[in-house]
Amino acid sequence: MRIAADIFTIVAILTGAFFFLAGTVGLLRFPDTLTRLHALTKADNLGLGLVVLGLLPQSSSVFGGLKMILVWLLVLLASATVSQLIARAARRGGPHP
Amino acid sequence: MRPVPDKGKEPVSHSRVPTILERGLLFFLVWLVLMPSVKLADLVVGVIAAVLATWTSLRLLPPEAGYLRFGALLAFVPHFMWQSVLAGVDVARRAFDPRLPLRPGFVVCRVGFPPGPARNEFAVITSLLPGSVPAGDVEGAIIYHALDTRQPVAEQLAEEEKRLTAALIGGDGHD
Repeated sequence: MRIAADIFTIVAILTGAFFFLAGTVGLLRFPDTLTRLHALTKADNLGLGLVVLGLLPQSSSVFGGLKMILVWLLVLLASATVSQLIARAARRGGPHP
Repeated sequence: MRPVPDKGKEPVSHSRVPTILERGLLFFLVWLVLMPSVKLADLVVGVIAAVLATWTSLRLLPPEAGYLRFGALLAFVPHFMWQSVLAGVDVARRAFDPRLPLRPGFVVCRVGFPPGPARNEFAVITSLLPGSVPAGDVEGAIIYHALDTRQPVAEQLAEEEKRLTAALIGGDGHD
């Protein structure tokens, strides 16, 4: 059982790390502010979600797990809000590479 | 039986008390989850933080501005989790593709939501969808930035709007 949980953790965190890498590659390769915004928000949200999911079986208490999920939700909310603010500013100023 | 004398003293703020208590309790619960400690000093700081958060939320989102049906929204969590996965996979695919398949552009999407909490909430939720980020709004419409304008972005957003209308529009409070 322990082994199954550990394998789940390793797979989920590696997948999460893959999406963080994808977001960073997008940040470097995409042509302008707005497209880079897509890369960072979408890929990193998923990456963080997978890391949290992977850590859940390792959490010592229900409270610890709840805390990680809450932190993830707060990051989602913040990233959704901030990405809109940046997108609005970028659209007004015109997309600069 | 004389008529209630302090009828005039019953201000609008009276009806706000349940909302204030509800929000304060919610913020304090969030604090407890983030800072699970029963030490008096920690609890005092938590109460101060909850009061400040409630005060800020009343300034930014007065109860009169309408409300969101969080319960109804919860039913959509699986759907948006899945969309969020698709969004991440979509970005990863494009980022790693040597040909970098992008055709970025703006898509204007007409929405029925009135400006205010419902529209903002819709914008926040749809920013999780694959290929679109809200980038501003005009009269009766939200401007989205799309990663690939060859994708049916507007159609998908219209579908999400249909899905969310019932959950986002409270019974009253919107003008």
